[in-house]
Amino acid sequence: MASNYVYEDQTKAEELQPKQLRHLVWRSLLLQASFNYERMQAAGWLYSILPGLRHIHKNKKDLSKSMKDNMEFFNTHPFLVTFIMGVILAMEGNKEDRETIRGIKVATMGPLGGIGDALFYLTLLPITVGIGASLAIDGNFLGPIVFLLMFNIIHFGVRFGLMTYGYKTGVKAIEKLKAGTKLISRAASIVGLTVVGGLIATYVAFQIDYVWVQGESELNIQTDVLDQIMPAMLPLAYTLLMFWFLKKGRSPLTLIGITVIVGLLGSYLGIM
Amino acid sequence: MLMESLLIALWAGIIGIDLYVGLTHIHRPVVTGLVVGLILGDVTTGLIIGGTLELIWMGMVPLAGAQPPNVVIGGTIGTAFGIILGEDPQAAVGLAIPFAVAVQGLITLLFTSFAPLMHKADKFALDANHRGIEGINYLGVTILFVFNAVIAFLPIYFGAQQATVLVESVPEWIIGGLSIAGGIMPAVGFALLLRIMMKTEYIMVFIVGFVLAAYLEMPILAISLIGLAIALYDFYQNRDKQGPDNQSPQGEEITDGI
Repeated sequence: MASNYVYEDQTKAEELQPKQLRHLVWRSLLLQASFNYERMQAAGWLYSILPGLRHIHKNKKDLSKSMKDNMEFFNTHPFLVTFIMGVILAMEGNKEDRETIRGIKVATMGPLGGIGDALFYLTLLPITVGIGASLAIDGNFLGPIVFLLMFNIIHFGVRFGLMTYGYKTGVKAIEKLKAGTKLISRAASIVGLTVVGGLIATYVAFQIDYVWVQGESELNIQTDVLDQIMPAMLPLAYTLLMFWFLKKGRSPLTLIGITVIVGLLGSYLGIM
Repeated sequence: MLMESLLIALWAGIIGIDLYVGLTHIHRPVVTGLVVGLILGDVTTGLIIGGTLELIWMGMVPLAGAQPPNVVIGGTIGTAFGIILGEDPQAAVGLAIPFAVAVQGLITLLFTSFAPLMHKADKFALDANHRGIEGINYLGVTILFVFNAVIAFLPIYFGAQQATVLVESVPEWIIGGLSIAGGIMPAVGFALLLRIMMKTEYIMVFIVGFVLAAYLEMPILAISLIGLAIALYDFYQNRDKQGPDNQSPQGEEITDGI
């Protein structure tokens, strides 16, 4: 009996050629084209790897499964995404277990997001744009040009370099990890869920901004009450509530509607 | 003025796309200063205002989903007002900031209203319809262009005064509420992910990840390394238990395939 998580067609796909990989790097520029708060970069991610998936999955049912999996929540740093693309495409090409692929994807997106922010937004951008701005303030038209050149040589170097590196790493790692796909899938899920637990506390911004005043004493609901019980309690509670609603069969659309109302109410009443 | 306003709007549309798609960073004020200066025929002033705006926005970067005041609208409107009204760079900044903040509120709304389309995308994925997925992404790019172009055009064409009055007439709680909702929204995405990945046996590591982030405020990379450590331990424990049979999965897999 075939498991639900295994691709029907188990023949390994032909390896992707450098030219195909380069094409996918250009597509990765659209990673955030359909950015939204529910899935973040998911549809852009799928767009970026789509020609690769179509090359790999000749079986229509498998292509549908794979596309569905790659429409799940995704968010990482847009410059480093090509590394994940390379690894995932290598795994898809090898027809790995779908749970393992998902686990690896979720486990890599979080850390790379953090690394990318530190490397590009906190280091590369301030340095290059600082040089550009100081020239521009003196009225030198080379300012913007110098900035764009410096920034983008590194930007595109990283994108193209990581694509090839990710794909090669992916192919090699898979060869080594042949033994026991069940165990690897389990290991990937473990890393993935550790990261998701951490991401909820980091990414979901849900705070009460209300100070209860009784005579002389003041009580800040967030810092004096909620944070004392447990930090990031509201993000966790809200996520679990959404999880419970989903299990009850509520559609994600309803949950988005509820969330917008919560935000507007909180703002109107001045408690968030 | 119509021609200049249209050209600036065109530029705002293009860099409005670049802020999310492409990220070549032509959307930075230092570049916009040069371009808007060229359009309005005063390159030197454009460069100076652009450079000044750049220094203000330098520290404002989109980290972990938090949205700073919009750099596209701030840069174009700030530079254009500075040149047209002959204001000094600091005053131009003062004019640009309210717009930049209001526009970021609208972007929150845009990113929220785009979420329902993801369910359309799910359907396309299920049908293996690649054109559908591509269409949704091209639609997103088009919306970004139109949105930014229109917002940049109106205040420059109709004048700073009217535009500022209009921006200030929107109740603050609506913009604030949308941005609060935007902050909470990833919870829905994580819930969807949990629905797929969560099994009772994994609750343990989920708790570990949460505690490390919430109490110890560890960065995500550290958390994933701890997750990896747990996974490796678990992997070798289970593999050793399987003993000499550990080669068997490969064999099973092949028969499964047939």
